[in-house]
Amino acid sequence: MVHMAVDLGGLTMRNPVTVASGTFAAGREYGDFVDVASLGAVTTKGVSLHGWEGNATPRIAETPSGMLNSIGLQNPGVEHLKAVDIPWLVEQGAKIIVNVSGHSLGEYVAVIEALEDAPVDAYEINISCPNVDAGGMTIGCHTESVESVVSACRNATNRPMIVKLTPNVTDITEIARAAEASGADALSLINTVLGMAIDAKTRKPLLARVVGGLSGPAVKPIALRMVWECFHAVRIPLLGMGGIVSGEDAIEFLLAGATAVAVGTANFMNPQATIEVIDGMVRYCEEHGVDDVNELIGALKC
Amino acid sequence: MTKPISEPAFIRANEPVGPGLYLMTLEASGIARSIEPGQFVHMRIPAMDDHILRRPFSIYGRSVENGLVEILYQVVGFGSEHMTALSASQSVELIGPIGRPWRPPAAASRTLLVAGGVGSAPLFLLAEKLIAEKREVDVVLGAQTAEALVSRSRYEALLQEPPRCSTDDGSFGFEGFCTPLVKKALVEAESEGRPYGYLAVCGPEPLMRLVANMAAEHDVPCEVSLERRMACGIGACLSCVVKTTSGLKRSCVDGPVFDAREVVW
Repeated sequence: MVHMAVDLGGLTMRNPVTVASGTFAAGREYGDFVDVASLGAVTTKGVSLHGWEGNATPRIAETPSGMLNSIGLQNPGVEHLKAVDIPWLVEQGAKIIVNVSGHSLGEYVAVIEALEDAPVDAYEINISCPNVDAGGMTIGCHTESVESVVSACRNATNRPMIVKLTPNVTDITEIARAAEASGADALSLINTVLGMAIDAKTRKPLLARVVGGLSGPAVKPIALRMVWECFHAVRIPLLGMGGIVSGEDAIEFLLAGATAVAVGTANFMNPQATIEVIDGMVRYCEEHGVDDVNELIGALKC
Repeated sequence: MTKPISEPAFIRANEPVGPGLYLMTLEASGIARSIEPGQFVHMRIPAMDDHILRRPFSIYGRSVENGLVEILYQVVGFGSEHMTALSASQSVELIGPIGRPWRPPAAASRTLLVAGGVGSAPLFLLAEKLIAEKREVDVVLGAQTAEALVSRSRYEALLQEPPRCSTDDGSFGFEGFCTPLVKKALVEAESEGRPYGYLAVCGPEPLMRLVANMAAEHDVPCEVSLERRMACGIGACLSCVVKTTSGLKRSCVDGPVFDAREVVW
């Protein structure tokens, strides 16, 4: 038996695999295909204080080995999450990471305060969504705003707090250090890469909002590079994501320095992707004589 | 409603049936058994790894006994073009059945089904069901040309009378769009004192909007089948939302069939 459990900044996970926020809703839709309790944790779709409508359609476009999305954090608000989704996840026996979104510093704090009496295992602070005009990536691109939001969230909770970083910056290690210094227990990366797609025939953008976030296998090399850079820049553990489809992809992220990984766009390709990634990681460990998956974290030979 | 399953499906046949139109027959016994008219499957097409998303398809025909489903598809882009090259030795991955089926009111003894182009596919199982329930079914089919009216003979065999047809170029039936035929059918049914109790329409969105408006003018309950660009196909990603009078709804699991009065066009 391979030891698969990991500790992500105080969040204990039975295996290193969770899902990328926004690709799995709050798990219920995937419950027909996977036992959500068999994941290391379920990361819920970004939640704000009150409901958000999201962006106009078309909201997605397929691009080579990936896709663009500009959903715009459509969600019914934190009270709905507490009343409907969290109880369902608890009933399934799942570990719960809630992705916290906001238009302002005050909204991030208010969402956390609203969740403090709910059975949440960890927060993921989303300062990296490229598809909203206020909050999201606008906060996550500058060390000063990262420090103020992360510090404010830190003051609002003692629970494990993961800060999700955007790749759309010049030097991600600066942002990673700022988040660590402001009290983050772990960092997740990467959110989507800002991009666009055009239909030459109609001369129109494929997304209603023109630009959106690129995800899928196309971004994996960028994600691996940034995980590796952050691994050498901070001491806190990393939750790596970006184009993970197979167990071997996930192992590569561990080797680059991630303690845990998230499966995102692959859920759309295959609703059982999470389980296949976990099984693939176990198989890799067995085949390579790895008794404890923790041995692989940062074990890149270079 | 049955929960969706993930099912590998062998391709039994994949043949051209009209201009840019193909019929694919798949072995998928679980989905064949449980699918309801109007629901769809989400297909992962093999050997297309750099195109990562699944494609949604309605079910045109099924055989519960033989465990088969049929998909009528039009070549519109890379994925559908790629599909035409698949052969009987290959298999695809299906998730299904997905979505809200057609829901004709129980009291509707006379019904009208209106299809534009490959919109004829998701209406065929509904026509079969309505006929099995001994309801009267009238069908209007519109297409660009006579060759593109690929469902005509199948509907004729089921209805035991020819469906009302239009072609844009006049090569078969009424020349022009099918909307005048719909208007005529609604007016005639009223003047016969036996108005329609239900209208179902599937096709290009402008057609569906026009037909839905006609149905409303004649006080006929109407359902439409909407399609949006879709990623997960199971209700999680919120890519495929549709504006409705009660807010945004997901075309995959809250639809694809919607009450026409609910849709904000």
